[in-house]
Amino acid sequence: MDSAKEQLISLVGQENVQDAHKSLEAYAMDQSFAPEMKPRLVVRPKSVQEVQALVRWANDTRTPLIPVSSGSPHFHGDTVPGVPGAVMVELFLMNRILNIDRRNKMAVIEPGVTFEQLQPELAEEGLRVNMPLLPRRNKSVIASLLERQPTTVPRYDYSLTEPLRNCGVVWGNGEITYTGEAGNMPLSLEEQWNKGVFQVDPKGPAQTDFFRLLTGAQGSMGIAVWASIKCELLPGARKLFFVPAERLEELVDFSYRVQRLRLGDEVMLLNRSLFAKMLAAAGEPSGLSEEGLPPWVMIIGVAGRAHFPEERVEVQEKDIDDVAKQFNLTLQTEIGGISGERVLEIILNPCSEPYWKQKHKGAFQDIFFLTTLDKIPQYIEVVNKTAGEIGYPSSQIGIYIQPQHQGVSHHCEFNLPFDPQDTEEKERVKEMYFRASEELIERGAYFSRPYGIWADMVYRRDASSAAALRKVKSIFDPRGVMNPGKLCF
Amino acid sequence: MALARDAYRKLEEIVGKEHVTDDPAFLDSYAFQWLAELVRPKQSHFMPRPVAVVMPASTEEVQAVVKLCNEYGVKAKPISTGWYHWAAPLKEEDDTIQIDLRRMNRILEIDEKNMFAVVEPYVICAQLQAEVMKLGYNINIIGAGSSTSIVASACAYAGPGPSTFWMGNNSDNVLGMEWVTPTGEIIRTGSLGSGSGWFCSEGPGPSVRGICRGALGSRGAMGVYTKCAIKLIHWPGPPELEPQGTLPGYRLPIPDNFRVYTIAVPDWDTWADIYYEIYDNEIGYIFHRQFNLAGADLAPALWLTYIDPDKTLGDIEELLEKPEIKELTEEMRISFQLILAGRSMRDIELQDKILDRILEETGGWKVKRFCEQDMAEFTNMYLQRMGHKHMNFVWVGGYLGSWMQSGTPDWVKGYVPIAIKGLERDAASGKLVQCGGDALMGCGSQLGGGGMTGLEQFVSYDPADPESVAAGTQHMVDAVKDAVSNGFPPGKELLYLQVGQKDEEIWETLEKSAQPMVYHFQRKIKEAFDPNNIGDRMYSILPEEKG
Amino acid sequence: MALEDYRADALRCTRCAYCKWIPLDLVKSWRFSKGCPSIEYNHFHSYSAGGRLVTALSLMEGRSQITAPVVDSVFKCQMCGNCDVACKLCRYDMEPLEALHELRFKLVEEGHVLSRHEQAINSLEKLGNMLNKHRAKRGQWAEGLSAKDLTKERAEVLFHAGCRLSYDSDLSQVARISLEILGGAGVDFGIMGEGESCCGGRAYHMGYRQQYLKAAERNIKAWAEAGVRTVITPCADCYHTFKRLYPKAGSQVEVLHMVEFVDRLIQQGKLKFGKKVPMKVTYHDPCHLGRQGEPYVPWEGKEKKIFGQAVVYEPRRPRYNGARGVYQPPRNILGSIPGLELVEMERVKEAAWCCGAGGGVREAYPEFSAWTAGERMEEAASTGAEAIVSACPWCERNFLDATEQGGPKMQVLDLMELVQQAL
Repeated sequence: MDSAKEQLISLVGQENVQDAHKSLEAYAMDQSFAPEMKPRLVVRPKSVQEVQALVRWANDTRTPLIPVSSGSPHFHGDTVPGVPGAVMVELFLMNRILNIDRRNKMAVIEPGVTFEQLQPELAEEGLRVNMPLLPRRNKSVIASLLERQPTTVPRYDYSLTEPLRNCGVVWGNGEITYTGEAGNMPLSLEEQWNKGVFQVDPKGPAQTDFFRLLTGAQGSMGIAVWASIKCELLPGARKLFFVPAERLEELVDFSYRVQRLRLGDEVMLLNRSLFAKMLAAAGEPSGLSEEGLPPWVMIIGVAGRAHFPEERVEVQEKDIDDVAKQFNLTLQTEIGGISGERVLEIILNPCSEPYWKQKHKGAFQDIFFLTTLDKIPQYIEVVNKTAGEIGYPSSQIGIYIQPQHQGVSHHCEFNLPFDPQDTEEKERVKEMYFRASEELIERGAYFSRPYGIWADMVYRRDASSAAALRKVKSIFDPRGVMNPGKLCF
Repeated sequence: MALARDAYRKLEEIVGKEHVTDDPAFLDSYAFQWLAELVRPKQSHFMPRPVAVVMPASTEEVQAVVKLCNEYGVKAKPISTGWYHWAAPLKEEDDTIQIDLRRMNRILEIDEKNMFAVVEPYVICAQLQAEVMKLGYNINIIGAGSSTSIVASACAYAGPGPSTFWMGNNSDNVLGMEWVTPTGEIIRTGSLGSGSGWFCSEGPGPSVRGICRGALGSRGAMGVYTKCAIKLIHWPGPPELEPQGTLPGYRLPIPDNFRVYTIAVPDWDTWADIYYEIYDNEIGYIFHRQFNLAGADLAPALWLTYIDPDKTLGDIEELLEKPEIKELTEEMRISFQLILAGRSMRDIELQDKILDRILEETGGWKVKRFCEQDMAEFTNMYLQRMGHKHMNFVWVGGYLGSWMQSGTPDWVKGYVPIAIKGLERDAASGKLVQCGGDALMGCGSQLGGGGMTGLEQFVSYDPADPESVAAGTQHMVDAVKDAVSNGFPPGKELLYLQVGQKDEEIWETLEKSAQPMVYHFQRKIKEAFDPNNIGDRMYSILPEEKG
Repeated sequence: MALEDYRADALRCTRCAYCKWIPLDLVKSWRFSKGCPSIEYNHFHSYSAGGRLVTALSLMEGRSQITAPVVDSVFKCQMCGNCDVACKLCRYDMEPLEALHELRFKLVEEGHVLSRHEQAINSLEKLGNMLNKHRAKRGQWAEGLSAKDLTKERAEVLFHAGCRLSYDSDLSQVARISLEILGGAGVDFGIMGEGESCCGGRAYHMGYRQQYLKAAERNIKAWAEAGVRTVITPCADCYHTFKRLYPKAGSQVEVLHMVEFVDRLIQQGKLKFGKKVPMKVTYHDPCHLGRQGEPYVPWEGKEKKIFGQAVVYEPRRPRYNGARGVYQPPRNILGSIPGLELVEMERVKEAAWCCGAGGGVREAYPEFSAWTAGERMEEAASTGAEAIVSACPWCERNFLDATEQGGPKMQVLDLMELVQQAL
């Protein structure tokens, strides 16, 4: 037997070490264009101690580790090994919800906890966590938050890292720390809860935001073994409105105003193609034909919580309507044969399998970045132009614009579906991905989550950040065992 | 020690002769800092003198000065609006150049659409607030008030204020930062580094800003922040504040879509309950416990005196004898201020209704006298502009803040009685202002959206009276003991005391912290970014052999 | 008094830096938020009131000596009092402006003087004015006008023109207009013409305590001999000196500025404006009429502590904090002139930005003085007004110079000139 396998078995138990071909193949590639690279083994720790033991072992043996907490399919290439001989660390067995505290609206979870698992448990306490748009069922909440996936309620983004608060981390050098407020107290979560401490403040400890060094890291700094997350109250009343438009430009100033006034909960802007795919994936006929769907729609979910929920919805509806009128827009409760309630139901839940973006043609590639809303129309032109040059139909391109940080930044996402069996189409999408990304970054698109080829593009342009991050990495992971080959490492 | 003459000449070449000085009296004006007398030998009001004070006008000049510090092995200590003794040089034995950023005082950009402003270090909150209000925006003004530098709080220090509940902590609100590192290189954080503009503080990949600041920033000990972008928040009020009346108690008329209340509760349990209700109900444009800073026994009398231009502190004793003032003092013993702002009339009416329901359910009430027009307008002025923050010093000039540990309302209320008893005990000798043990002030929330608060005990001492100063120092020592013996971490007073401590004492404390690793990490960051050690110990580290 | 009397103030300064800004509540823009010309021009903290308090402490504790930079920092200040107003917004125990005066007295007493100030003081002592002008020409502004000569006769009301109006031909019409108004009001008044002497205020602000006292005693004696009970002046500097400084030298006369007198006439219905003056104007509050123009309250007492350590005074100490300056009378006058539109600058009343002339700055630091005036003119121009109006010839002189040195082209008027136009 492979000595590594033996050693790992002694750490996590036989049943939690895998070297079966199928298991390894599953990680050799993902849905992105990341080059294929098989890992050596797959392990599943069950506890913090086991995770730490694994990391120490990796340091001793100079073995690359790649943490994974969401089930497949994966889409960004961050879980495909960048170097040979890597060991996948699956965190699925660490899937406990450790604590839910209604009064402080905080939950503490392990990395294997998914949105699908968490939301109903929170709902029992009258809570909910701000979620991305239609995460897959096996999407890890911690992974989503660490990767700064955009959430759908920008009003609650007091910072871009919300609702992530504290983490327990096994860093790449094997040390364990608690980030944030949790790091100032006796390092036992139970003890802290007993003292009335609920891991609320994300900052620190001291003069470093340790949790921020873990976000966007693609597992290259360490492994989060628990996280505290800020929850919101479950609304007592909800409504959803559509604001249709022929062109995105008609919605821009209105969207800015809605964000500025902190109106609405779920707010997003979708083009017809993306909206249709979303509906189709949910089994809605209007999604299949795109008929009746406008070229652009802004979705505004309005919620009322705590005291007088219905009145809150009513007041917000009127206020949003007043604003809409200023911009010659109208609020609709129905569009293309689909009701606001139904769309609310769709966007408030994880998607069913297969992942909704795969349903259209089987595969897709997303190009996404952060920007300000006013620049997005020009980026759309860039992508459409590139599509035209390459021969990819722009009508197929789904566009998802998610206001973030209370409207200061926007996640802009281009969805490029393709048939994975159609080699030519796949090649076109690949070329689209490469060329459009280059064009976009040239024009100031901010690839804040630099997966795959974006990493080189970003760090070439921002050498000082790359140098700073390498210094940080050399402290947290001096032997470079954590997911080597990603970002600028 | 004096700065080498050729180094001084080089400074003159960098910034111009008229922007460097080593005149002893001038240097003393930087060494003199509030709180120094509490920790310095012989109660000196002077921290160590810098060897020179230099005033750069641009990032390039800052870089050149920092590089010079590296070349000559002197410490670099930036200061902008500069408050607290740690803004000065810390050790006699370390030659330090104080970099006064006063000349870098411009508002560089206001992006109306994308809701941020870009500022240099000497732009103060009052200035930016006035400019953005013209555009219908506001900013979070920190608790220390509108005379403070935005860059300082956002990049290098803390960041919460009375408006944080609605507007976010400045740690939430800071976007791109321009950072001159201790070696004189420039790091631009977030989207700025990618050439994408100022709008995002995170990334790329892991957020570089994570090493710039955490719960606190580097307090001038890790390079110089020369610019930052700060998020703006909608302001549903008039484009210009029009204060009325006569100083000192200017009053700000309350627009129809605003409400200004002082709310009181019968006990601290209710205080916590009501805070949670406010968090849950998401009402509160400004949410702060401000007026109790004067001490619960004296606060109502002080504030009613203050707004009368013909009265002075000497009138308070008489006022306190009046039965209605005695009643009022008891009524608002446990109280705080809440300002509601509606984006529309229907919104403000609903907020009012929600507040009434909260009061009904929790047993709190609006303090009638302080909700009358004069006091409400004064409260409005005070909290919107935060232009009276040197009321902290009103009694006799010296104030130190103890406690202020941050946590949930339930947790914070746990230390309240200890803090109250401690101040009563320590003020009993009469060497501190006797204002009742509750001189606790704090933000309704230190985080955007709620969840965390903290209460700072305002302890007033006479800096001109050695016995009073000694009592202030003793109070800080006592407060640490009181906290620790009751299972709380030490509060703000420990940070003040540490300025007077030897390195070894500080290391001893850090070694006993929950995670000494934090300070080892910071040591390694310092070694990586400040190899020549030009930053002082305000960036906390542990030597390798400790802890 | 001695500098030592302000040791406690220095120790109780908390370096809050409010002394650098106008009261923060009143800030309406980035540009016009600044309160202290000295620190705006010179930047180092020592150029602020707080910084000078440290200088005082540093000297008292023997930590430093009076060097050229120290002299510069102490004298490069108009003594405008904005710092005092801003500090006292939240402090009842600080007297920054008094401390700044005391610091100057110390420097002068120890021989650290500026040559330009020495020249002005010599002029005061020899010629009875600080402008180095012939004494004999002092009364020429009143030629052709009838008024009692109070060097020979007696009257209860003295009109004191002041040095600037007596000698500055661009401005002396203000004195003549004032005289006509007084005559028209039927007041039994007189002037001292060539026999008039400088109030000495400027000497005080420059730090020459003894020389000021001599000038004050001379005037108080002359007034007593003439039976004067009220002094009226159109000069804010003289007004402040007579009202706030002279009582400590033994003066007991009532002091009025012309704007107070005219406002009184208007309120009593004794002065009516018949002509329209269709102009848009902005009003500059002179430091010595505005925030430093508060009524004098004699006081002698001591500090005492209540509530353990809170500082109060026994008896109550007057609160010179700019609250009761002469702000409304000039505005009443402007408001009564038909056709006139008053547009206010951002920094008005207690927060007014200094004209730049005071404290010996015009004499010793002409560029700094001009810069300060230029800043004020920019602020005036920003209102869209055609004219800047004031009630102090020193302010008006500095503004006139600013217009000639490249500042905004606006008319510079004294309030009395507008009054005359409206009569």
